[in-house]
Amino acid sequence: MRRVRPRVRWAFALLAATGGAVAWLSPGSAAPAASTAAPPAPTVVAAASGAVAAVAAPVRLTVPAIGVDTALPGIGVDDAGALVPPADPALAGWFTAGPAPGATGPAVVAGHVDDRTGPAVFFRLEELVPGDLVTVARADGTTVRFTVTRVTSYPKRAFGTAEVYGPTTGPELRLITCGGEFDRDRRSYEDNVVVFARVAG
Amino acid sequence: MSRLFRASLLALVSAALCVPAHSPAAAAEETAETGLLRMMHLSPDTPAVDAAIDSVSDPGVGVVLPAVGYGDVSPYQLLPPGTYTVSVRAPGADPATPPALATTVTVAAGAATTIAGVGSFAELQFAVLPDDLTLPPAGQSRVRVVNATSAGSPLDLALDGGPALATGLAPAGHTGYVDVPGGPGRLSVTPASGTPTGLPVDLAAGSVHTVLVLDREGGGLEVTTLLDAASPGMVPVGGVEAGAGGAAASGPPPGLLALSVLALAALVVPLRARFAPRAGTRYAAR
Repeated sequence: MRRVRPRVRWAFALLAATGGAVAWLSPGSAAPAASTAAPPAPTVVAAASGAVAAVAAPVRLTVPAIGVDTALPGIGVDDAGALVPPADPALAGWFTAGPAPGATGPAVVAGHVDDRTGPAVFFRLEELVPGDLVTVARADGTTVRFTVTRVTSYPKRAFGTAEVYGPTTGPELRLITCGGEFDRDRRSYEDNVVVFARVAG
Repeated sequence: MSRLFRASLLALVSAALCVPAHSPAAAAEETAETGLLRMMHLSPDTPAVDAAIDSVSDPGVGVVLPAVGYGDVSPYQLLPPGTYTVSVRAPGADPATPPALATTVTVAAGAATTIAGVGSFAELQFAVLPDDLTLPPAGQSRVRVVNATSAGSPLDLALDGGPALATGLAPAGHTGYVDVPGGPGRLSVTPASGTPTGLPVDLAAGSVHTVLVLDREGGGLEVTTLLDAASPGMVPVGGVEAGAGGAAASGPPPGLLALSVLALAALVVPLRARFAPRAGTRYAAR
């Protein structure tokens, strides 16, 4: 259970700090003075429970089941708004405009399935199955573990944007690469393979 | 002509061998496996309770949330879709005894629901709040308000320079969702008998929040901004170009691909030799 009420102490401290109602800190002595003003206007304070501790940026991704161990440079979108994996086919990249792995929401990682000469970092991504482990090491030395929940492919022209990027209630991870048939005229795979993972209990 | 012929052969081979591996039906089946349910204790004068969520159709499926006190919010529980009984009892009470309060709720695949115990102890009831955890519009955050204070204090809440979130919201009541500009801001909370108090909030773009207004121990109100769910503040458009085809002929699925390679070798190589001897270099140059 997320305990909201213990935060009351913090609220007290906050009040003391702002000097708004020192009365609350020592009700025995000062409370009567505060309550003489009638009608009593309820004091309104913010609880701290909504605040989310900052999560350090990821630095490395490991997927033992398919032999992936890669640094995680930051990636973004192009002028058309499409996500662009790292230029180096040996590396996967983390989408810095989204949640960090371990923070609430879907953290997004993309990498190439191949380059022009052969397999790249996420060549075997499609082999993952529910239950497989994914580990992300972070800049502060901590590690967060995820468990694969499903592996899906979408045609690129009907990408599952809402499923892949939609809000999640806990920390999740998305690993994205290409799959399906390679259209040699367009030099593009027709599908995207997406691995969904949830933070390990 | 050779191009066309080769393309159709390629399509034929791929259609025969590769498509079943990406059947959309399989994706849909996995997508729709669970729903989300959580509980909140929002009745100021009701003591802590043990809450139970039990599947009606499958007695083996359920969750017990022990000693849930005023202001507590449970994590979302992942549950198989179906109908559930939600019940509360005095802490430590035998789960076989009649509950103090119970209701049924439907958990739908891919949907989220909050069950809140609201109102005074004498009039305790469950409020069923459907949670909208879909993607907010670009750059927006989605927020709603629950007034979990004791009777007599309707509330106004608004974002400074933004929309009203609640107007005259009675105790035990809740608002619908409002889309607001994402980012840090100030939330003005105005009790019926008071002046506005401004509180800093950070409603990041792409996130969904529930603002709880609670009675504070010793008097006054405490405002909690819960992060219900989060998504990237900026959502990429469409799919991802993450391949150049260099391993296309030997990629997964392995078993079928071996066949596919053989078939391609048999069909394409002679064609190339006959009609398009330099096709390979042409592709590489593009």
